[in-house]
Amino acid sequence: MKVIVLLDQIQAGLGGKEKADTELGGKKLAMGAAETLAKDLAKKDGSLMATFYCGTAYYQANTDLVQGKITRMCEKMQPDVLLVGPTYDYPDFSRMACEVGLAVQTGSKLPVVAMVASEKNTELLSEFKTQLDIIKMPKKGGAGLSDAIDHALALCQLKVAHADRSEFVSQYCY
Amino acid sequence: MQKKFEQVLMPVATKIGNNVVLRSLRDGFLIITPLIIVTSMFLLFGNFPIPGWADFWTGILGKQWTDWFSAVSNSVFSFTGLLSCFGISYAYGHNRGLHAVNSAAVAIISFLILTPTSVQAGKKSVSAVETVFLGPNGIFLGILTAVISVEIFRFAVKKNWTIKMPDGVPPAVSQSFDALIPSALVVLFFFFVRIMFSLTDFDTAYNFIYSMLQAPLKHVGNSLPSAALYNFLASLLWCFGINGPTITNSVWSPIFFVLSQDNLRAWQAGKEIPHIYNQQFIDMFTTYGGGGSTLSLLIIMLTICRSKRVRELGKLAIVPGIFGINEPIIFGLPVVLNPIIAIPFILVPVVNTVLSGIVFSLGWVPLTNGVMLTWTTPPIISGWLSTGSIMGSVLQLVEIVIGVLIYYPFIKMLDNQYLREEKAAEVADVDIDFSTV
Repeated sequence: MKVIVLLDQIQAGLGGKEKADTELGGKKLAMGAAETLAKDLAKKDGSLMATFYCGTAYYQANTDLVQGKITRMCEKMQPDVLLVGPTYDYPDFSRMACEVGLAVQTGSKLPVVAMVASEKNTELLSEFKTQLDIIKMPKKGGAGLSDAIDHALALCQLKVAHADRSEFVSQYCY
Repeated sequence: MQKKFEQVLMPVATKIGNNVVLRSLRDGFLIITPLIIVTSMFLLFGNFPIPGWADFWTGILGKQWTDWFSAVSNSVFSFTGLLSCFGISYAYGHNRGLHAVNSAAVAIISFLILTPTSVQAGKKSVSAVETVFLGPNGIFLGILTAVISVEIFRFAVKKNWTIKMPDGVPPAVSQSFDALIPSALVVLFFFFVRIMFSLTDFDTAYNFIYSMLQAPLKHVGNSLPSAALYNFLASLLWCFGINGPTITNSVWSPIFFVLSQDNLRAWQAGKEIPHIYNQQFIDMFTTYGGGGSTLSLLIIMLTICRSKRVRELGKLAIVPGIFGINEPIIFGLPVVLNPIIAIPFILVPVVNTVLSGIVFSLGWVPLTNGVMLTWTTPPIISGWLSTGSIMGSVLQLVEIVIGVLIYYPFIKMLDNQYLREEKAAEVADVDIDFSTV
């Protein structure tokens, strides 16, 4: 299973809030928080194909452009699944992840899994939860991160295998 | 191993993090923290650690200038018991789904019911309140009063023991009548509590709580094992992605708060400072640059590490790091769920705690004065201001260097791994060019 992960500038290890203007980019390796995902993926015979990153302010100023470019790049690179997040309770990153995730899922045949915390994202989740599989995860500093990553990767596997995931989704997604 | 740790830690951390009383204690102290920081500045200005400072200002402003500054600092530091009661009852009421203002009002009244209101002046008894009952020594009584009064209030509200006003009555009036019976119940309860204690050898609830609870807890809290355990747990939890201090502060903050206030009162009065371990000790002499003392880590990332990823992150994170913000490192390096970095991340704060404890015990650095500086105050400056001695800064500097030595082999391991990846990437061209799509 080949996975591409989308992160914001903080999670990608490219700086803090002051770097929200970071342009859309990517590397064919694990960056920042993706390092943990890559290790867990390797245990499940999967691999992290690439890390996409985008500053939240840059995304807000170039929404259509970023959504389009990520969709086309996914089609070009052909991973098995796109993982957007983990976003914790960062509201801007959570919105970017859900919007990009939905755009990719709609614009290509690629399965998408999102990881978002409910705190500060109530409206966002009610807007997207019926259209996107969003794994429940803790807010920044909350308990249960490791379990949430396990759930996200398990859902990726189910989606790639085209297996029945209704029970899994009802248990671990919003 | 990591999974096993998580299985043990997670339920405990979640339980503590979600416990409404502990959460309210933490939130309640946060409500009064801005007042403490602001008035600390007045206290610090009045007692700035520079020889000749007081004389200099006396020459300009006259002898009374210290009274002006003391009036401001005393407005908070002489009433920390009462303020704790206010903050905690407000937070607890809010967290329990009650009107927070009503909760705070009824708790303050309950606290005052328990407070002795006569002072012996010679042979006469004068109607007055001594600030000793309302200040640091009354903090635990304030906490208990806050929790019990709100709990009784809530019990009455839940039982619907309220006076319902007809529709059309303004909400403020209706709300006031809603609170009537619950408030009466709370007042009646504390009325009997006061009478009950007056019939015992303790005489007051204040004497009972201080001698049976506050003094023993202070004794336990003011110890090296207590401070070391605090930092060990706080760092360990961060490694699993859990905001450690949020959990540990729920337990330790009332104790450290009282210990800091004792030091501050002693410092203000020019007496010997009593406690080594308190909030300032934890904030200023155990971690530098945020949890895990990551300023030491950043120094190596910037100066010794060779991989682009680590160096770039070091450059981006150094300025926030100096001011105690390490979010980019926690999530970007990352520290979270990273077993290599977890070891020094836990070890460095514990080593700093032990070293600082020894140094303070030996009297090489004056004890912390209890002045609450903002948590963004950079090390070196904070060491000087919180002890009034340049030796405080020297201790911080030494510990930052020791942290560098402990972090070095671990970050180098990570750096070498990233370096290998980057070299492979140079050959393989890992950059993804979005301009092509």
